[in-house]
Amino acid sequence: MSERTILHVDMNAFFAAVEQQTNPALRGKPVGVIGAGARTILTTASYEARACGVKTGMTVREAKERCPGIVLVVGNNRRYTHTSAGIVAILRDYTPLVEVFSIDEAFLDLTGCLTLFGPPERIAHQIKARIRHRFGLTCSIGVAPNKLLAKLASEMKKPDGLTILRPVEIPALLETVPAGELCGIGPKLQRQLALLGVRTCGELGRFPLAILTRKFGVVGERLQQMGRGLDDSPVIPAEVGDEVKSVGHSMTLDRDLSQPDDIRRRLLELAEMVGRRARRYGVAGRTVTLTVRYADFSTFSVQETRRDYVNRSDEIYAAATAILDRLTLAQPVRLLGVRLSSLRSQAAQYSLFPEEQKRLLVAEAMDQVNDRYGTASVTFGSILDQDGRSRVIAPAWRPEGIRNVDVE
Amino acid sequence: MQRIDEPVRVGAVFGPGSLIRPAWFDWRRRKYVVEEVTYRWHEQEGSTTAIHFTVTAGGALYELVFDTGRQSWVLAGQEAEN
Repeated sequence: MSERTILHVDMNAFFAAVEQQTNPALRGKPVGVIGAGARTILTTASYEARACGVKTGMTVREAKERCPGIVLVVGNNRRYTHTSAGIVAILRDYTPLVEVFSIDEAFLDLTGCLTLFGPPERIAHQIKARIRHRFGLTCSIGVAPNKLLAKLASEMKKPDGLTILRPVEIPALLETVPAGELCGIGPKLQRQLALLGVRTCGELGRFPLAILTRKFGVVGERLQQMGRGLDDSPVIPAEVGDEVKSVGHSMTLDRDLSQPDDIRRRLLELAEMVGRRARRYGVAGRTVTLTVRYADFSTFSVQETRRDYVNRSDEIYAAATAILDRLTLAQPVRLLGVRLSSLRSQAAQYSLFPEEQKRLLVAEAMDQVNDRYGTASVTFGSILDQDGRSRVIAPAWRPEGIRNVDVE
Repeated sequence: MQRIDEPVRVGAVFGPGSLIRPAWFDWRRRKYVVEEVTYRWHEQEGSTTAIHFTVTAGGALYELVFDTGRQSWVLAGQEAEN
């Protein structure tokens, strides 16, 4: 593959920075963004809080122990998704090849755009200036010949950094960079590599392939390539991205549930969320999966594949509860998830049976009302009093398409 | 932020283009002059778009919401400790 120019944009402490921009009284202070639920954890910490040792994923108690002066703010997911979509729109002014990696990260393939917009430094400065002007936010940008190195580069200067890795500089840099700094090498893999005496990317790149393959299987060769800074994965815009293989929702409950009726009500809520999204995007699925996480965090999933394709909420609910009824729950339940997979495109399937046809028409009418007046304007009576779930933005969230999940 | 959710009278500048900038609002018989629009974002509720603005006025932070369907303003909340 010929030399490419890939740019990675990483918003700095995204949720916390949005909160600091929204409320000037928070600027310069240690801020932790938390969810609305009772069992919430920190979704982001501002750089001032990070300086005190506060990290994403900490409990509120841990954060307060590390940083007694931390200001905790309940996050506003709609503010974040709107901001993220606006940032992606700015990025698309430079190239159609924008891959949204998460709500606060994106890759751009600038290879074909340099003659139009100038060198990557200029484009990076323009992007930073436009994001700062429009939202008051800073980002770190990395530019390199591939996605792996562009992401590594954006991590090198934070906040508000710009790092450009030129091909000639890369081998020397990789000699000193710890292997764990590469995206895809987590703490567990890093420990396994350390046991082999591999600490830096350079050492990983030179390590005998036979040993890596014996230890890590097919991943071994990929690891060696990563150690050498090689990555030919393309930047994949959403419109040509992988076909969506499933539609699912999960919710961490405010309190652990043991009563079957309580659990069923939550399943109905999840089934409605899944069914509504599947119907909106014209897909139906044959496989329904129920995920249960116990109070001790042990998690399992059970799936059932049907003969017919479904996307009506009551059918998804029936399948999920049928799975639940076969289970003997060993502990109270902390999290529930419902997923519809084995998808195919399918518009509404009219039935010859009057009762079935009535249910379909009711679902269509509910969807029309909710499309016009907003989510859950009409819903099942038994879930009207449900307000105890945590609301988080799933990693798979994207600014448009079937992955554009409504957030609260 | 303390929820208020009360209809309010708002003076706003529309334009250039699609920009909207609230300049002042009346609430409980007092006029508040907007010092800074600190953030704005859109929320979709069915077919209606609501434009949210957080603004500072008189040392406090407020959230104003413009319902584009009804063409009406609501004071959604107030953060007193600013």
